[in-house]
Amino acid sequence: MKLSFPFTAIVLEISMIVLFGFFVKYETEQNAIQQQLNITNSTKVDRSLELHPLFRDVHVMIFAGFGFLMTFLRKYGFSSVGINLLIAALGLQWGTFIQGILHHHGQTIYIGIKNMINADFSTATVLISFGAVLGKISPAQMLIMTIIEIAVFAGNEYVVGEIFQASDIGASMTIHAFGAYFGLAVAGVLYRPDLRRGHEKEESVYHSDLFAMIGTLFLWMFWPSFNSAIAETTEQQYMAIINTYFSLVACVLTAYAFSSLVGKRGKLDMVHIQNATLAGGVAVGTCADMEIHPYGAMIIGSIAGIVSVLGFKFLTPCLTDKLKIHDTCGVHNLHGLPGVVGGLASIVAIVFRASKASSVVMQAAALGSSLGTAIVGGLITGLILRFFVCGLSSTEFFFDDSVYWEVLYSVKNVNDDYTSESFAHLKPQSLFAS
Amino acid sequence: MGSKYPPSMRRCLPLWTLVLEAALIVIFFFFTSYDTSSQDPKKLAGTFRVLQDVTIMVALGFGFLNSSLRRYGWSSVAFNLFLLALGVQWAVLMDGFLEQSFRKKVVIKLSSIKLATMSAMSVLISAGAVLGKANLLQLTLMALVEVTVFVTMRMIDRQYLSMDSHLSMMHIHVFATYFGLMVAWSLSRCLNKMVMEEKNQTAKSSSLFAMLGTLFLWMFWPSFNSALLDVPKERKNAVFNTYYALAASAVTAISMSALARPRGKINMTHIHNAILAGGVAVGPSCHLITTPWLAMLLGFMAGLISIGGALCLPASFNHVLGIHDTCGVHYTFGLPGLLGGIAYILLIIYEVSWIKKSVISYQLFIGAGTLSLAMASGLIAGVLTGLVLNLKICKAPHAAKYFDDQAFWEFPHLAIGF
Repeated sequence: MKLSFPFTAIVLEISMIVLFGFFVKYETEQNAIQQQLNITNSTKVDRSLELHPLFRDVHVMIFAGFGFLMTFLRKYGFSSVGINLLIAALGLQWGTFIQGILHHHGQTIYIGIKNMINADFSTATVLISFGAVLGKISPAQMLIMTIIEIAVFAGNEYVVGEIFQASDIGASMTIHAFGAYFGLAVAGVLYRPDLRRGHEKEESVYHSDLFAMIGTLFLWMFWPSFNSAIAETTEQQYMAIINTYFSLVACVLTAYAFSSLVGKRGKLDMVHIQNATLAGGVAVGTCADMEIHPYGAMIIGSIAGIVSVLGFKFLTPCLTDKLKIHDTCGVHNLHGLPGVVGGLASIVAIVFRASKASSVVMQAAALGSSLGTAIVGGLITGLILRFFVCGLSSTEFFFDDSVYWEVLYSVKNVNDDYTSESFAHLKPQSLFAS
Repeated sequence: MGSKYPPSMRRCLPLWTLVLEAALIVIFFFFTSYDTSSQDPKKLAGTFRVLQDVTIMVALGFGFLNSSLRRYGWSSVAFNLFLLALGVQWAVLMDGFLEQSFRKKVVIKLSSIKLATMSAMSVLISAGAVLGKANLLQLTLMALVEVTVFVTMRMIDRQYLSMDSHLSMMHIHVFATYFGLMVAWSLSRCLNKMVMEEKNQTAKSSSLFAMLGTLFLWMFWPSFNSALLDVPKERKNAVFNTYYALAASAVTAISMSALARPRGKINMTHIHNAILAGGVAVGPSCHLITTPWLAMLLGFMAGLISIGGALCLPASFNHVLGIHDTCGVHYTFGLPGLLGGIAYILLIIYEVSWIKKSVISYQLFIGAGTLSLAMASGLIAGVLTGLVLNLKICKAPHAAKYFDDQAFWEFPHLAIGF
C-alpha cells in the first residue's frame, strides 16, 4: 500500500497531463480559428454557457450524491466519500480524453461544457461499479479499474450512439446498466468464500444511514438535470425534465408501498428507501425525451420502484448465495435492473410510436451490446485486478477505514460509544434504569 | 402485551399507497398533456433553475430541518420525501383543475410543477408540528386534505379577493402552521409526560443534521420568495430584501438566544428555527420594500418574535391548550408569518395614503381578510383532519410509541433488546 498506491496515482496523473498537453484545447481556440476562416460561430459559446447550470447539477450528483449514498457502512464512511472523490477526479480527466479521441478520430479535442458533462457521465459508470465492490478493493485496484472501465464504456457508447444510432438520452443502458453489470462481474471474480456468511463489519449504524440519505436526496433532486443535460433541442429538454420528475415521484410512492409490503409487520427498510426511490430516474432515462406523456413516465417509475425493492429483498441474497457475487451497495437493484427496465421501456415506447429517432431493433441491439460489453469487460478487468494488482490480503481488512486512513481515535471504540449513547434504549438493562 | 407493539402497517399502507398511485396514473392519463407550444430556451432554463432551488429546499431542507429528534431521524427525512412526492402529484392536478375549471386537459409546464412543489410545502410545514405522533397512513391522509384545502384557498384568494399569485402563496406559512397545530392538538391529547421527556430530546449529532437542513433552507430562501414574481424589478427587490432580512434575523436569533439563557450559552434548537424567521416574515411584502433597512428591520423583529416564542410558547400556550408542537412550527413559521402579513397591510396602507384616502379601508379589508382567511381555513380544516385521523381505520400508533423510529423501521443490525 505504501508504494503501490502513490506510485500508480502519480504515474496516472502525469500521463494525463501529457495526454492533455498533446491533444486537448479549449473550444474558444477553435472558434478563433473558425473566425479567421470567416465562419461566425458565436452562438456555440452562448449555448455552452447555458449548459453550465446543468453541468453543475451533474457535478453535485457525482461528488455529493454518489459519495454520500455509499456512506451507509459503519466503518467505511471515509473511504466511501474519499475514494469516490479520487476516482471521480481521475475518471473525468481520462473520460474527457478517451471520449474526445473516439469522437474526433484521433485529432485535437476542443473541449466545452458539453464535454465536461459527458466526462462526468463516464465517471458515473465507475462510481456505480464502485458500489458493487465497495469495501472489498484497494485504492490502487480502484484506479486501474477506473482506467479500464472508462475505456470500455467509451467504446460501447460509441457503438451505441454512432453505429446503432440508438436513443439513450439519460443513459439508462450505457451508464446505469453497463456500470452495474461491469461492477457485478468484477465483484464476482474477486469473490471470497468468507463473504457468504456475512461480514461482521458490513453493517450500518443509525447515523451512517442518515448520511446515506443525504446522498439519496441529492441524487433525487438533481436527476431531472442528469437526464436532460445532453438534450439537443429545448423541446426535448423540457420533455426530459417533466418525464424524469414524474417518474421519480411515482417511484417514491411504490417503493415505500412495497418496502412496507415485504417488511416484517409492515415496517419500512432504510436500504430500500435509500436506493429504490431513485430507480424511477434510472428507468426513465432512455425514453426521457420521447413523447411518453406524464402517465407513461409514472408507469415506468412505478414499475422501477417495485422491481428495485423486490430485487433487494429476494435477488441480492440469491446472488450472494448461488452465483457467488457479493454486491455491497445493491447496485444491481438500483442501476442494473432499472437500467434494463429503461431499455425495455424504450422498445415499448417506440412500438407505440412515441419517438421516430430510433428503431426497435437498434434499441434492443444497444441494450444487448451494453450488457454484453459490461459483463465481458468486467470479467477481464476482474482477472487483471486479481492477479496483477495488489489488493487486500485478507477479508478481515474488508469494510474498514483504518486500513487506508489515519484514524486518530480508535474507530471501534468511538463507534461503540456512539451506538450505546444513541441507542441506550435498545439495550435491555436500560429499560429498567431511571 | 398487544398494545406495546404498534399495529402492523402491512395490510393498509401498501394497499392504500398503491391504489392511490394507480388512481393518480389513471387521472394523469385522462386529464394531462404536455405543453406543445414552442419553448424559449432562456425561459425554460430560468424556470428550471427556480424549480430546482425550490426542490432543494423542500426535499433536503425540510427533510433535515425536522431531523433533530434523537430517535426519529429516519422517519423525519424519509416521510418528508414521501409526502413531497405525493403532495406534488396531487397539487399539479388540483392546481390545473381549479385554474381551468375542468374544461380541458391540464397542461403540465415547468412552472406548474414549481407551483405544485410550493403548495406541497404546506404539508411539510404542518408535518413538523405532528412529527412523531402520526404514522405514514395518517400523514398521507393529511397531505391529501391539506393540499386540497390550500389550493382551494389560493383559488378563492385570486378569484374573489383579487390577490396575486405571489401574495396568496406567501400565506402558506400561516395556513400550514395553524393546520398543523390543530392536527397536533387532536393527536397529542393522550400524550403522557414520561414519553415526552424520555424521547423528545435532541442529540448532538442529530442536531448537526438539523443544521444541514436549516442551512439549505436559509441559502435558498431568496429563490422561494421570488419564485412567483414575474416582473424582473420586483423579482430583484424580492431577492435583495429576503437576503438582508435573513441575515438580520440570523444575527438577532443567535444573539438573543445567548441573551435569554443563563451564562449566555446559545441554544441550538433556537438557531434551527429562528434564523429562518426573517425569510418568512419578509415574504408577503418582499417585492414592495424598496430600501434594505426596512427588510432588515422586519428580519430583526421576526428574529425577536421567534426567539420570544421559543422561550414562552412551549411553557404557557402549548401547555395550557394541550398542543404539542414537536418542531416549534408555531414560532418558526406561524408567528413570523403573521408578522409578515401585518407588515404587508401596513405597507400597502402607507403607499396608498399618498394617492387616495378612500381606498385605504378597502385595502385594509382585503389584506386583513386574506390573512384571516388563511388562518381560519387552516384552523378549521386542521380540526376536521385531526378528528378523521383519530379514527380506528388509520391504525394510529400508541402514545408510548411516539417519537420512535422502531415503530416504522426495521433495524436488523441493532435489534439488541427486542
